[in-house]
Amino acid sequence: MTVAQGIFYLIAALAVAGGLGVVLARNTVYAALFLILALLAVAGIYILLASEFLALVQVLIYAGAITVLLLFALMLTRVGDLEETMVGAQWPLAVVASILLVGLLITTIATSDWPGDADGMITRIPFETLGEALFRQWAVPFEIASLVLLIALVGAIVLARDEEGDVEEAE
Amino acid sequence: MEAVAQQIPLEHFLVLSAILFSIGVYGVLTRRNAVLIIMSVELMLNAASINMVAFAAYTSPAAFTGIIFAIFIITIAAAEVGLALAIILRIFRNRGTANVDEVNALKW
Amino acid sequence: MGMSDAWVLPLLPAAAFVVLALFGPYLPRKGDWIAVLAIGAVFVLTLPIIADFTDALALQGEDFAGVANSIQWMEVPGHLELNFGVHVDAITIVMLVVVSFVALMVQVYSLGYMKGDARYGWYYAVISLFVASMLALVLADNFLLLYFSWELVGLCSYLLIGHYSHLRSAAEASKKAFITTRLGDIGLLIAIILLWRETGTLNIQGIIEAAQAGEVGREILTASVVLLFLGAMGKSAQFPFHVWLPDAMEGPTPVSALIHAATMVVAGVYLVARTLPLFELVAGGTELVLAVGLLTAFMSAGMGLVMTDIKRVIAYSTLNSLGLMFVALGVGSPAAAMLYLFTHAFFKALLFLGAGSVIHATERQEVGQLGGLWSKMPLTTITFGIGALSMAGLPFLAGFWAKDEILVALLENKAAFALVLVTLPLTAMYMTRVFVLTFLGEPKEPEAHEHAHEGPPTMAVPLVLLAVLTLVTGFVVFDQVGEAMGFPGGIGELIFLEHPHAFEFEVWVTLASIGLVALGIAGAWFAWVVRPELPAQAMARLRPAHALLANKFYLDDFYQAIIDRVVLTTARMLAWFDRNIVNDTGVNGPAYTTGFVSYLMKFQQTGKLPNYALAIVIGVVALALVAFSLKA
Repeated sequence: MTVAQGIFYLIAALAVAGGLGVVLARNTVYAALFLILALLAVAGIYILLASEFLALVQVLIYAGAITVLLLFALMLTRVGDLEETMVGAQWPLAVVASILLVGLLITTIATSDWPGDADGMITRIPFETLGEALFRQWAVPFEIASLVLLIALVGAIVLARDEEGDVEEAE
Repeated sequence: MEAVAQQIPLEHFLVLSAILFSIGVYGVLTRRNAVLIIMSVELMLNAASINMVAFAAYTSPAAFTGIIFAIFIITIAAAEVGLALAIILRIFRNRGTANVDEVNALKW
Repeated sequence: MGMSDAWVLPLLPAAAFVVLALFGPYLPRKGDWIAVLAIGAVFVLTLPIIADFTDALALQGEDFAGVANSIQWMEVPGHLELNFGVHVDAITIVMLVVVSFVALMVQVYSLGYMKGDARYGWYYAVISLFVASMLALVLADNFLLLYFSWELVGLCSYLLIGHYSHLRSAAEASKKAFITTRLGDIGLLIAIILLWRETGTLNIQGIIEAAQAGEVGREILTASVVLLFLGAMGKSAQFPFHVWLPDAMEGPTPVSALIHAATMVVAGVYLVARTLPLFELVAGGTELVLAVGLLTAFMSAGMGLVMTDIKRVIAYSTLNSLGLMFVALGVGSPAAAMLYLFTHAFFKALLFLGAGSVIHATERQEVGQLGGLWSKMPLTTITFGIGALSMAGLPFLAGFWAKDEILVALLENKAAFALVLVTLPLTAMYMTRVFVLTFLGEPKEPEAHEHAHEGPPTMAVPLVLLAVLTLVTGFVVFDQVGEAMGFPGGIGELIFLEHPHAFEFEVWVTLASIGLVALGIAGAWFAWVVRPELPAQAMARLRPAHALLANKFYLDDFYQAIIDRVVLTTARMLAWFDRNIVNDTGVNGPAYTTGFVSYLMKFQQTGKLPNYALAIVIGVVALALVAFSLKA
């Protein structure tokens, strides 16, 4: 086992542990913190895949901004304590479905013939190349994505804003 | 563009992605709090992103389309979270709860 | 306008109907002028068609078999070809003249008679459609268009007889007319289908030729001829379908004139005349026509004698005439039948319009309430008198010549001849009776007599025109008259080329008929003018016979009993079946089942998001498993 492999398994274990924490933690804030762990682990995976830029974006936007946003949402929608009192009634079925799903996915992966180097040769993309591609070849999708973001934000503001007359309802 | 040898087969990344995805699915199915469901959805999105990046790195390094896609996925995820949280807030204000199994206006 | 352009004719009044039905209420005078103009145009356009016909006749002589002009409507290659078209030959020409002229007279007359009617515009709309469908009927070259028009005629008669729909009797009468003729129509429809199946064509001439060539099986041909005649019997009110015609008097009087003279009832005569070759191919075919005609003529002559309603008397006289026409057809003389139809149209329209005049003036139609009207309404008296005498068969009037033709045609059939002779004095008697009771003697209701007056010019002019025609049309039987009018060889040659038959006279037949008619008139005169108390005495002495006649041989009661016992019972059973089996089980059953299953299914809609998400995941997994198992 090479160093890279060892690092991969470590990071993968962290990611899975984080993910399980997100879905299993009784305390909602812990769940959010586990999410940060999982997202950071995914950033590590990106580095292993030689995509440093993506890893940076992952840390900044996901682990930073989005998680903060989720924590704010938890705070705003808090009724009582932070413990989630009850797991959904259908959890046994959900366990079965999830295990079946993962089994199927892994079976598919294992039985399929994937292209690429068996010994894991990958290519590093320099930031310049990536930036050039993003702003030249992908300029139009980029602009559309920014527009989508803008519209989503405007929509979010409109939805979340207090309207006249529903303040009482909120109490 | 330099090549890096890591001795990690592509399948490993894919399996990791599958596991993360299934964990996300389980979270979506069992969590009652809407915010936690959103978190589980984020896990699923990340799993997909790992797939994209892995395929980009292993199969078509010159085009790196997968990485571009991952960037877009992050963008969309940000938009989705913003919007979803606004909706959750709205529901919470109107019904006094963020638990999805108590919001059953679509019932018969 | 040549003969092949004749398809225009029905379209004019049909267009008038559409315009009147849609825009009638918004037009000045409710659009009556459109209807009158349309039918006037039809009459004018008929004239060049006649000219074209005589030219063709002069050119081709006896080989001329008519002009056909048709377009394809639809085609199922190898199976079915439907054409719509016109066929103009001698019969058609006669019918065209009759229909267009009588309809014109009736419509002009209605301008005065129907004035102020609540549904004046609708009346004109329907009467236009009536004429249009009758024109289409006589022009049709195929059974499909003929049947189509045939049903339209029935529909229009229903609408017009029931014109005063606020009267229960009118509503009942229109229903009776419609249903009774329907019974016959079904026969016609089956006959058409049978003939089409055997010959593969709907074209009338084509079917006749095929039948003459022996392409139609004997049984099928017999059946279809009988069924065909059933249709004709229904429309022409022959025994036992005659019951609707007297009741049809509930309609406005001009409508009665139209129905009796030009449109409805002559359709049956026309149909038999048109398809007479088929009847002649079938053993007993013509005999059936003859028997039915004789029976009708005989029964109606008796009933006409006791009826007290002026219109009903005339209605029975129509039955009488129609019977005579069928008798003529039954002995294979369409020439005589068509001549009678031709002249009958004029004097029957005249009689009805005269009766309408009386009703219009006095608002009474029971002869027991009329009388002495000659002093107030001389014009009506004279014209009605001409019509009545023509119907009776007084020499030199139109009816005389036509009736004589029928008698001559009957010479070979002694029994029928004798029976027809017996009806002659009866006819003369009841026509004289109705005339005497209405116009002569003392007014029985002075109040009604007081207010009686002649109608407006729109009513007077048609009366005069029809009276003049009644006086002169009979003379067309003379070959010289026909030649002068442009028909080579006289009218008799014209009317039925396949049965060359110039009009003939047998002196002793003529004398006998004159004698019998004179006897009838004199008898009536004696009974109702000289010794007015005589009829009452006779009535008292012959009470059963009178009751039998006055109750129309109890046929109506018989039919009513059948309807009550058989038809309604069956209908109730069917209604039960329909309500319980078809409706509750067949229709509502699936609906209830669907509703119940939906009720059960709705509980899966919990409204909870995680349940739906789980369903999606399970679906994905299941589909993936299926895909795997298929791959494996």
